[in-house]
Amino acid sequence: MNQALLSKSRLADFVSYLVSGHKVVAPVPLQEGRFKFDEVQSLADISLNYIPTILPPKKYFMPQRSTLLRYDLSKGQDMEEMVELEKLVLFGVHTCDLAGIQCLNIVFSDRPKDLHYLARNNFITVIGLECSDYCDSFAGCAMLHNHLPKGGYDLFLTELAECYYVHINTQKGEEMIEEASIFEAATKAAEGELERLRSRKKELFTSEVPIRYQDIPRLFEETFDSDVWSQLGEKCLSCGNCTSVCPTCFCFDILDEPELDLGSGERVRVWDSCQNEAFAAVAGGDNFRKKRLERQRHRFHRKFKYLMDRYGRLFCTGCGRCSRSCMAGINLKRTISALIEERG
Amino acid sequence: MTRPKVAFFDFSCCEGCQLQVANLGEALLDILALVDLVEFREVMSEKWSGRYSVTFAEGSICSDEAAEKLRKLRERSDVLVAYGSCAATGGVNGMQNRIPREKLISTVYGDQWRAEETRGVRAIHQVVKVDYTLFGCPINPAEFLRLLTAILGGISWHASDNAVCVECKFNENVCMYDRGATCLGPITRGGCNSWCVNNGNVCYGCRGMVSNPNRAGAEEVLQAHGLKPELIAGKMGMYTGALEADDGT
Repeated sequence: MNQALLSKSRLADFVSYLVSGHKVVAPVPLQEGRFKFDEVQSLADISLNYIPTILPPKKYFMPQRSTLLRYDLSKGQDMEEMVELEKLVLFGVHTCDLAGIQCLNIVFSDRPKDLHYLARNNFITVIGLECSDYCDSFAGCAMLHNHLPKGGYDLFLTELAECYYVHINTQKGEEMIEEASIFEAATKAAEGELERLRSRKKELFTSEVPIRYQDIPRLFEETFDSDVWSQLGEKCLSCGNCTSVCPTCFCFDILDEPELDLGSGERVRVWDSCQNEAFAAVAGGDNFRKKRLERQRHRFHRKFKYLMDRYGRLFCTGCGRCSRSCMAGINLKRTISALIEERG
Repeated sequence: MTRPKVAFFDFSCCEGCQLQVANLGEALLDILALVDLVEFREVMSEKWSGRYSVTFAEGSICSDEAAEKLRKLRERSDVLVAYGSCAATGGVNGMQNRIPREKLISTVYGDQWRAEETRGVRAIHQVVKVDYTLFGCPINPAEFLRLLTAILGGISWHASDNAVCVECKFNENVCMYDRGATCLGPITRGGCNSWCVNNGNVCYGCRGMVSNPNRAGAEEVLQAHGLKPELIAGKMGMYTGALEADDGT
């Protein structure tokens, strides 16, 4: 079975089923029309219509801060490796964020494999939710081909008039459907409705910037010395918001934190950012990217050039978080447009 | 093994940063097992005449007498920590360097005042060499413990040079700018775990700015949010008046 239907009136029952056996996290409302992924107890806690959360679901796969190992000097060099595992269901993930998780999976599966990440990943069930319309004007998902589902989930829900069309992508997802026993078999009528929704989306979601996906890396290659970067450098405050909220930024720092007995302690991993002053600083006081323009350019090249070269995929998901949270109004889509215009 | 001799001293300040240590609770007992606390006016009356392993100096330096006392402390200390905003950046006392003294005094005390003579406000590093700097008004207890264990355990430690926004995003706060307020988080030195914003307040910039702030860019952002240049200068200078002598930031 690859598809199923869930009556809208049973969605609350499905969430209750999930909550009965798992910790469930889903988008919940904050002030000012903002959202975050947080633990929920029922459907009533969840915002099904939401713009991208402040932090992407990345925080469950690679937390802002996590313990990698514990040490105790009385045991010499023996260190106890730690993985903070948490079994959870991620409910209501949009296609942009599914793409973000896929990007992280690629990076952390590359050698040397990141066992902490991969172990956590095994404990997380992902239930996607389709957007039938744009969330807001910051989104660039069509340019990045992420407005439609392309895997990365266990189950994926698309809202139709009377029910949710459910794609089942993994055995784990199929087992859930069977155990919940509130799903029905997919019908021809529902399939037709899904197809019509998808064709409507094709009209609605068109590349937000006039450039083809495959041409983006070349644009960045050809505009390395563009004035656009100087303008960004002048505006940027180096607050790090763009990278903190990015679903595919994965840089981190590692710190040793002793307990008050000084003999034992933890080695922790904390998110770091190429926008931070000390990120590219080295012993002796040199800094490889002292200028803000270099750091902003680096961020863009990481999304649109370097990782494409390495992994054959763009590392921007089009979620729009960086633009939404930029203090200085640096806008990803406008930046790409400006580069296109300057190159001619 | 003798425990390291640790002492706390204060210059021009409210002593609130030392209070953060007095209020540590259980962790204070662990610290006392680790160190020999030899002087700490706020919690004990004993004095020490030998060398200090680690000296925490709170407050800014506003007189020749204070500068002389600090120099002597430096000579007697293996490690000297500039402790809290007044020590690290001059703190709010630094306003004296930006605003005429008479105007400041009459604003705060009206005409009923009697004040000691002062001669400019200096942060600790502007008078003597400092080994570590703990920013914050007040200092953050968790950061104090990390610094103390790093010093005693021989692990390197650096004050954060990330903006407050970094930790604020980690904490997934709704941005103060989205809530219709302005905030100095984007250019203020972090390490406080966005303490104020977590509790519903804006960032006042108590740790001073990051080492390489985009001041002009930040002014532009604040102006776009309706702040007049004079108010922006006042906000940015509230904790950094004494540093203007350093490098213009």
